[in-house]
Amino acid sequence: MDATITQDAPTALTGFSREAVLDLSRRKGDPDWVRDARLAAWDHYETLPAPARTDEEWRRTDLRALKLDRLAPFAGLDQERVSLDALSQNGHAADRDGALAIGSADQRAGVVVQRDATTLSADVDPSLAAQGVIFCDLDTAVRDHADLVRRYFMTEAVPVGFGKYEALHAAFWQGGTFLYVPRNVSVELPFRSFAQAQEPGAAVFTHSLVVLEEGAEAFFVDAYSSPTQDKQSFASAVVELILRRDAKLRYVQVQDWGRHAWSFLTERATLADRAELKSLHVTLGSRFSKNSIGSHLRGEDTLAEMLGISFADGNQFFDHHTWQLHESPHATSDLEFKSALKGSARTVYSGLIKVSEGAQKTDAYQQNRNLVLSPTARADSIPNLEIAANDVRCTHGATISQVEEEHIFYLQARGIPRTEAQKLIVEGFFRPVIDRIPVEEIQGFLQAAIGRKVGM
Amino acid sequence: MSDTNTTGAPMFEIENLHASIGDKEILKGVNLTVNKGEVHALMGPNGSGKSTLAYVLAGHPSYEVTEGAIRFNGEDILELEPDERARRGIFLAFQYPTVIPGVSMANFLRMAVTNVRNARVEAAEAAGGTAQKMTPREFRRLMKEKMALLKMDDAFATRYLNEGFSGGEKKRAEILQMALLEPTMAILDETDSGLDIDALRVVSEGVNSLAGPDMGVLLITHYQRLLNHIKPDFVHIMMAGRIVQEGGPELAHELEAKGYETLRAEFAAD
Repeated sequence: MDATITQDAPTALTGFSREAVLDLSRRKGDPDWVRDARLAAWDHYETLPAPARTDEEWRRTDLRALKLDRLAPFAGLDQERVSLDALSQNGHAADRDGALAIGSADQRAGVVVQRDATTLSADVDPSLAAQGVIFCDLDTAVRDHADLVRRYFMTEAVPVGFGKYEALHAAFWQGGTFLYVPRNVSVELPFRSFAQAQEPGAAVFTHSLVVLEEGAEAFFVDAYSSPTQDKQSFASAVVELILRRDAKLRYVQVQDWGRHAWSFLTERATLADRAELKSLHVTLGSRFSKNSIGSHLRGEDTLAEMLGISFADGNQFFDHHTWQLHESPHATSDLEFKSALKGSARTVYSGLIKVSEGAQKTDAYQQNRNLVLSPTARADSIPNLEIAANDVRCTHGATISQVEEEHIFYLQARGIPRTEAQKLIVEGFFRPVIDRIPVEEIQGFLQAAIGRKVGM
Repeated sequence: MSDTNTTGAPMFEIENLHASIGDKEILKGVNLTVNKGEVHALMGPNGSGKSTLAYVLAGHPSYEVTEGAIRFNGEDILELEPDERARRGIFLAFQYPTVIPGVSMANFLRMAVTNVRNARVEAAEAAGGTAQKMTPREFRRLMKEKMALLKMDDAFATRYLNEGFSGGEKKRAEILQMALLEPTMAILDETDSGLDIDALRVVSEGVNSLAGPDMGVLLITHYQRLLNHIKPDFVHIMMAGRIVQEGGPELAHELEAKGYETLRAEFAAD
């Protein structure tokens, strides 16, 4: 890869390289152990094979149009910090029409707003901080809570050697949010993280590291967005959700990158005994989105509810792979992913329920439904079961359907114009999933987002 | 509605209507006129084309009209989309109401009422008059009132459109929609089918309370039973895609006594 050093330019290099790792690390002022970890990750990246289309997971994914060597590996370091008030008042992207709100102080437990590689603003409820709750960007966590970061960052949920793109992420992570909730602390209001990308032609790396200690409870809303630009960009997200015994987490992620972005997400949750995860993934933006989302049900009596809503239009390509990994007895996983498509969009869903030998009394459910709104859109759905225990209940179902003309006619016969009728039907398609998120703000956001997509 | 520009014309006029599905002609020249305030019953054996006529009047896209006309207040409505027809005041109560998962009754009704009423307000304004659009509060009050009229539980509004409804509930829901949309031309397709005697009474009372001097009604039914509850002014009998006999209410009784077989022998020859 070419590595041209341009002095005084905000972005020093093009393409990913060892030099770029060192340049990023120096500019960020990483401690040595972070720099060394980045270099070790870079070595992993160089050693690991690129995903091949012979791999089942990558079979339907065409990466030829992704030009990593033309990208700036990082951008927008050292932007000025902005107060939250100013962010809200200036119609900041996080508060633009149709985006999730930053929320006022009484509507959140804390907030981190990042743009490109810089944190613009962050706060956390002081009474929570007094109880030991940590909510901050990863740089701050590296500085103030190095022991926790060293212990959890890409070690347990998504290890550095997980795959090639994860290794690249470990070498080049720039933004990132860290949430730590100590034992038996329960937080009802959401922690909100906003990751935005503004620099054209650059890569952006977002990272969410959530650690809930025994009996802790939290709600995390993770939003990615950028305006659509001409130059291709690359967005690499890693999400690590670590739930100790009896911990409960609600995690909502909204991906709304601009249509120039190639987005890669790797998310793994690990659940200890009796832990409960309720997650929702909303995929709206990007040109290309490859999402790998999995729950390791490591403890007994754990519960993972995994919901997904995606809506692809134009030439968008969304590829969702899910993993429900049952490793202990008496655990329940309940997955429902719904996708609508229009234009010449293409989606792939592939889900695996894997039950290990000792995981008796597993109750696993997996449902994927696709609503195809145009004759040029195409959805594929591939459900899989892999069961090594003999006393389990596993069910899965997949459907690909179109809007029925009889439904449209019925609504039209009641005076509702065709486009509105279609919107009503698409909202109805997603409604059962939306109703499973008992948070009015999120429900309202989803309904509006779906309405906009239908009308586009 | 705007019937001002067409003085003297009948309200609803079907003239020599031919319609096909695929290559199959189902309606073979139907003539029928409904004036304001009139209740017409359309009877006939299964397969005679009654439901096809209902669908064609409402604008179902599967049927192609090959000949003839449908005029509403003097306007040819054949080229109008189903929703445009509904906004002009035509209502079809479906024989088999469609189940639409995830769409709540309340949300659906509000959308339907908003579209139809707003169109009416705009039409009134265009004609130089004034009318009020409905506020959400007024809508809720009206919905409650009409639900009470049809003896429907409040919980109904939160359920998904026709999902898990019994036959009787579906038919009540159809009449509820009619009550909220206040059509000037109502076509009721086999609204009595699948109803027990109590439900039939509730539904019939609902229709009777809505019918009035400004509304035309076309009741499509296989049996005389419904006509004991809703009294028609005129009865038409359809066979093989045509109206073969017309008369007053006595015709329905005659038909009940003789049965369709006698008629079939007379008219099915061609």
